[in-house]
Amino acid sequence: MRPIVSPKELNDLRDRLRAAHDPNHTWVQLCAGTGCLACNCEPVAAAFRQKIHDEGLEGVVHLKLTGCHGFCERGPLAVIQPQGIFYQRISPDDIEAIIDQTIKHGKVVTKLLYRDPASKTRIEKAEDIPFYKKQVRLVLRSNGHIDPTSIEDYIAFGGYSALAKALTTMEPERIIDEIKRSRLRGRGGGGFPTGAKWETCRNAKEEPKYVICNADEGDPGAFMDRSVLEGNPHSVIEGMIIGAYAIGSHEGYVYVRHEYPLAVKHLTIALDQARELGLLGPNILGSGFAFDIGVSRGGGAFVCGESTALMASLEGKVGEPRAKYVHTVEHGLWDKPSNLNNVETWANVPLVIEHGADWFASIGTEGSKGTKVFALTGKICNTGLVEVPMGITLREILHDIGGGVPGKKKFKAVQTGGPSGGTLIVETRDAKIMRSMEDAGEISPGDAVTSLLDLPVDFDELTQAGSMMGSGGMIVMDQDSCMVDVARYFIHFLIEESCGKCLPCREGLRKLHEILERITKGQGAPEDILTLQEISETLIDTSLCQLGGSAPNPVLSTLRYFRDEYDAHIRDKRCPAGVCRELVGYAITEDCVGDAKCAKVCPTGAITGGPRNLQVIDQSKCIQCDACYQVCTFNAIVRVKRDRAADVQTTARQTWKPVKERTQAEARA
Amino acid sequence: MSFEPNLVGFLCNWCSYTGADLAGTARIKYPPNLKVIRVMCSGRVDPNFILEALAHGADGVLVCGCHPGDCHYVEGNYKCQRRLPITRMLLGEMGIDPRRVRLEWVSASEGVRFGQVVSEFTEEIRSLGPLALQEWAFDAAAADAQLAHQGGDHA
Amino acid sequence: MPKVNMTVDGRPITVDEGSYVLQAAEALGIEIPTLCFFKYVKPYAACRICVVEAKNKRGRTRIVTACNYPASEGIEILTRTPRVMAARKLNLEMLMSRCAPMPVLTDLARKLGIDQPRWGTGTDMCILCGLCVRVCDEIVGAQAIGFASRGIERFVTTPFEVDSDACILCGACAALCPTGHIRMEEASDREVVHSEITLGPNAAISVPFRQAVPNAPRIDPEFCVHFRTGGCKVCASVCPKECISHDDVERFEEVEVGTVVLATGYQDFDPTPFKQYGYGRLPNVITSMEFERMNNAAGSTGGKILLENGKEPRAIAILHCIGSRDENAHPYCSRVCCMYALKFAHLVKEKTSAEVYQLYIDLRAFGKGYEEFFHRILEEGVNVIRGKGAEVVSAGRDCQEGSLIVRCEDTLAAKFREIPVDMVVLCTALEANRDAKDVARRFGISVGADGWFIERHPKLGPVSTTTDGIFLAGVCQSPKDIPDTVAQGSGAAAHAMSLMIRGEVEMDGAYAVIDDEVCSGCRLCNDLCPYSAIGFDETKKTSSVNPALCKACGTCAAGCPSGAIRALHFADDQIYAEIEGILS
Repeated sequence: MRPIVSPKELNDLRDRLRAAHDPNHTWVQLCAGTGCLACNCEPVAAAFRQKIHDEGLEGVVHLKLTGCHGFCERGPLAVIQPQGIFYQRISPDDIEAIIDQTIKHGKVVTKLLYRDPASKTRIEKAEDIPFYKKQVRLVLRSNGHIDPTSIEDYIAFGGYSALAKALTTMEPERIIDEIKRSRLRGRGGGGFPTGAKWETCRNAKEEPKYVICNADEGDPGAFMDRSVLEGNPHSVIEGMIIGAYAIGSHEGYVYVRHEYPLAVKHLTIALDQARELGLLGPNILGSGFAFDIGVSRGGGAFVCGESTALMASLEGKVGEPRAKYVHTVEHGLWDKPSNLNNVETWANVPLVIEHGADWFASIGTEGSKGTKVFALTGKICNTGLVEVPMGITLREILHDIGGGVPGKKKFKAVQTGGPSGGTLIVETRDAKIMRSMEDAGEISPGDAVTSLLDLPVDFDELTQAGSMMGSGGMIVMDQDSCMVDVARYFIHFLIEESCGKCLPCREGLRKLHEILERITKGQGAPEDILTLQEISETLIDTSLCQLGGSAPNPVLSTLRYFRDEYDAHIRDKRCPAGVCRELVGYAITEDCVGDAKCAKVCPTGAITGGPRNLQVIDQSKCIQCDACYQVCTFNAIVRVKRDRAADVQTTARQTWKPVKERTQAEARA
Repeated sequence: MSFEPNLVGFLCNWCSYTGADLAGTARIKYPPNLKVIRVMCSGRVDPNFILEALAHGADGVLVCGCHPGDCHYVEGNYKCQRRLPITRMLLGEMGIDPRRVRLEWVSASEGVRFGQVVSEFTEEIRSLGPLALQEWAFDAAAADAQLAHQGGDHA
Repeated sequence: MPKVNMTVDGRPITVDEGSYVLQAAEALGIEIPTLCFFKYVKPYAACRICVVEAKNKRGRTRIVTACNYPASEGIEILTRTPRVMAARKLNLEMLMSRCAPMPVLTDLARKLGIDQPRWGTGTDMCILCGLCVRVCDEIVGAQAIGFASRGIERFVTTPFEVDSDACILCGACAALCPTGHIRMEEASDREVVHSEITLGPNAAISVPFRQAVPNAPRIDPEFCVHFRTGGCKVCASVCPKECISHDDVERFEEVEVGTVVLATGYQDFDPTPFKQYGYGRLPNVITSMEFERMNNAAGSTGGKILLENGKEPRAIAILHCIGSRDENAHPYCSRVCCMYALKFAHLVKEKTSAEVYQLYIDLRAFGKGYEEFFHRILEEGVNVIRGKGAEVVSAGRDCQEGSLIVRCEDTLAAKFREIPVDMVVLCTALEANRDAKDVARRFGISVGADGWFIERHPKLGPVSTTTDGIFLAGVCQSPKDIPDTVAQGSGAAAHAMSLMIRGEVEMDGAYAVIDDEVCSGCRLCNDLCPYSAIGFDETKKTSSVNPALCKACGTCAAGCPSGAIRALHFADDQIYAEIEGILS
């Protein structure tokens, strides 16, 4: 394909592509994002190809491998167009049915439809599924629809029209003005106003200038940027070209973490295709503007998500941050003015230019405009990738979109912002905690009645509550999560990722971990809480970068909302959630039905009893591995304080009755 | 009675004259036949001086200077070194044995060597016999006789 | 450079915009503690001990590190707020819990008011300040060490933890390390290197020795880091007079003088070819100069008499006349050795408890107090043996490694002796410099067979030479000790001064004159003159001699074909008269 040298040519191409789309053909939009790849979507794809071939349907039925659709819990999944039928949990054996019934005869394969647990009905169309209903998919608009390795798909769906508009009808200052008016804020976690950043970079005196895309996405459990790069790389490229034009840069870099091979692959293909069409290179769209993008892969370091460490790594040096007293927009990559933005931020830019600042500013809250992509994971029914308008409440995300906690467990907390974020409590103890916060003067009187779950999700509200929105990771925890252990987990993660340059982060994290370890092992001392707070304060005050600076957040937020759990560990040597190995003992209660599943999985043979009898755990052999707890579907195994386990077991022996002898009421309990 | 050669020596002031002095202070024994004329430099020695000395009765002339490279006046001894062979050649043409004129380098510390040189030269002239130039120089017949006596040995 | 006004602890100061707050505080005499800061490398801001509170014009306060926070207009710095002090203390306590209680940490702890670090102390010697890495990178330019691993595993090492070729052994890292974690180690097992007769360990910049003239440090390009890597030059940046230049090149200057005093000294005889003494082959066989250097308090052992393995010797043999009075080496006596050998014996007796064996041929104690000193030595129990040391051998397998045996004939006792010793000092001869002949030729003076310069008269002219204006002083004329050298030096100086003071030079009456009438203008004489004293007059078409330049050698007179040149006092007619007179 030869380069496009004018917006008119682009429009013509788009029209041609759209005209070539035959409405009588069928498209199977099969999700091939990393999540579904892990769910074995490749055999499904192979089965589709085979069947299409065998039935001689090539040319009429098209298999399109797309990026992440978002409903990762339900993969492998596909949408059949033009009907818009959403099939989930597809296995290769289902292909026959899909082809024969749906594609040939337009009939729905009921068992592959999503069944809503609330209404207990099967839902045909994606947009009717509760998971999707409350989402506003803008950044992810094309994710399930286009083939990320095809620039034609992107163009046909309207791609690069924002670029054409910017390059030919807008001056750089006007573009910056538009971004400023849209009030777009950085999506990487910092939330810095994007327009202001671009303006400062544009005004910086030195040349050359660089634009950089931060695709390092190191937070555990976050995969927003990955899905955007895998599913719609051109949206990021388009955003970067517009940004470069506005700032006056001719060289851009995407810094991708090493662990995203598919994202790198799709991004590289997209860049090559863009160059081929003259959308990158010496004369973009015939406007005379020159710009190109290079890809740099990380080396596996979380700290390289920090902007100065990222730039050091791009330069080929060790990824260590430096002081930010002189901003990177003035002295960044190779000491030149550099504008760094997150993947999601760049992906928003074409939307703002295309539809205007006013449209963008109409979505979201006063302080936070637009949408945010969240990776919803943990103890939640509908794990996956969601995009919601700023201002939606936590409750809506967790209940309406997320579908609540699976099993009979109860919500406990939600962690936002990864290791830099904080843990917020949910529901059950809201009122008490809120009142104590009011007493402590942390919130205004009268706010106590509002549950934290009803907090609107945006940059400022979450930060005020002691967490932060971060880059979009959202981990849900239930009663089985120990908050002290959660804090310990994140500190442990950070110890391994700390670059070790500055003293407070290196030595402070080590100390924090030591203390939290001791506490989880039942060796905590009363003064430990104070020490944790002191060290946290010093870390926040004196760390060189935000890795150390925000490292205490999980500790401080769990201390704030779950102080009683810490007290239980320290004073009572007890883990209320039953997680901390040294403090926990396992016992089987009278709810046991005797199916002996637990005995089968016990690695030490500590469970005995025989079929249809009460199973009993021999405390001397039990190693607290949790296997029996996971496998019992009758919730008959409890995790209690170690020295109580024997007693609980003994009580069970006394009160246990075989199932047949239990009354109706007892059985149902 | 053995013939005692009558020798004239032109010694340069800085090296050979001083060397001769050293021979004296070191009590070196050598024959007394050499009569010394001091010049500042061996380069001062005009070939005429040699001829004059021989004409006035010297049986041999010894010219001593500084070793090449050590001349007090830098290059004077080189000039002497150029003149002497020509002088000796001319003497040969004139019928005088060239061995009667010798050029030697003696440094200021070579007292012993000076003694050796004088001893050797004295013996050599002794073996050559008296020159007695005055007697035959102005008598053509005596000159022929002298030539015959020399045996045409004028290399 | 635009200036900005700021305050530190309320005290105002004006500084260059963009300069760092730490220097502003320093200028006001306010001390901010640091651990990883060094003036000559870029600030690293890793220790976070220098944290201060900074309030900008808009009233926003933040905690920043003073070493790299740039000054701006209106910034207010507070160096001792409770928040800052708490942070410093806690950071130091955390560091101390991992590290050994080294002075750099305990002193700082005391300053910050920490009595007992709350987590005690550990054992690590490295505080990860990065000074070593940064100096090796930024100043030395060798980049031989760096940080490896990250987080709590971070440590300083060479690439792949093997010996690095890039390391130039300059020792800068060891010098800067605040804890002594980095040390320079001798690569071999020899602890004392006797031949190292320089001042202490190799110094790139040092005063050669205490009496050096000029008494100023000089840079040795062999060891200077700048010449090896192009980096460093710290000396030039710290010199307040800015008088250090690494770009100096040798240049030749012409100085016109009328008098020269030659005091070019001597060189040491090298005993290596004399294999019987084992110099260079056996351990602990050293020359007198090496012993002298070792004995010097500013030397490499600090004045201690030590063997190569660093231990004190139990017995030392001092061999006189090595290379002197020897028909295989120099026939002359070097004059000074007997006395310094006795001095050595005395020093050994004073500093160690070793036995001393003095092996001599004759004891020349000719000077004032010298004989008396010899008797004192005898009283000190030095074993004096009349017999030149013949051979030094290794003591053999059964003895302690490194032991030596000296073989000699004790002529007074008429016995052949084998003396076991730990160290042998060879009193080596003084010999003329290798280039003495060239120096003599350059100055137009004579040199003797032994290489010593020849004086005008052995008895009556010991400081002058046959060339006017050239004087001699010291051993270059013949071996002598210090009192004699000083005397001769004074004499030479006096002669030189008397020439200079006169203001005019008396010229010899002897020079050459050219008779215009006779001169044919052939100009043969022009090139004959080694002093270019003969010029040619173009108008008269005759040559003429400049009497000031003429040295009266007479070569021109001998060479003039016309006989036009008259060498005054040695004129042709005068010489003819002499010849006539002699032979009459």
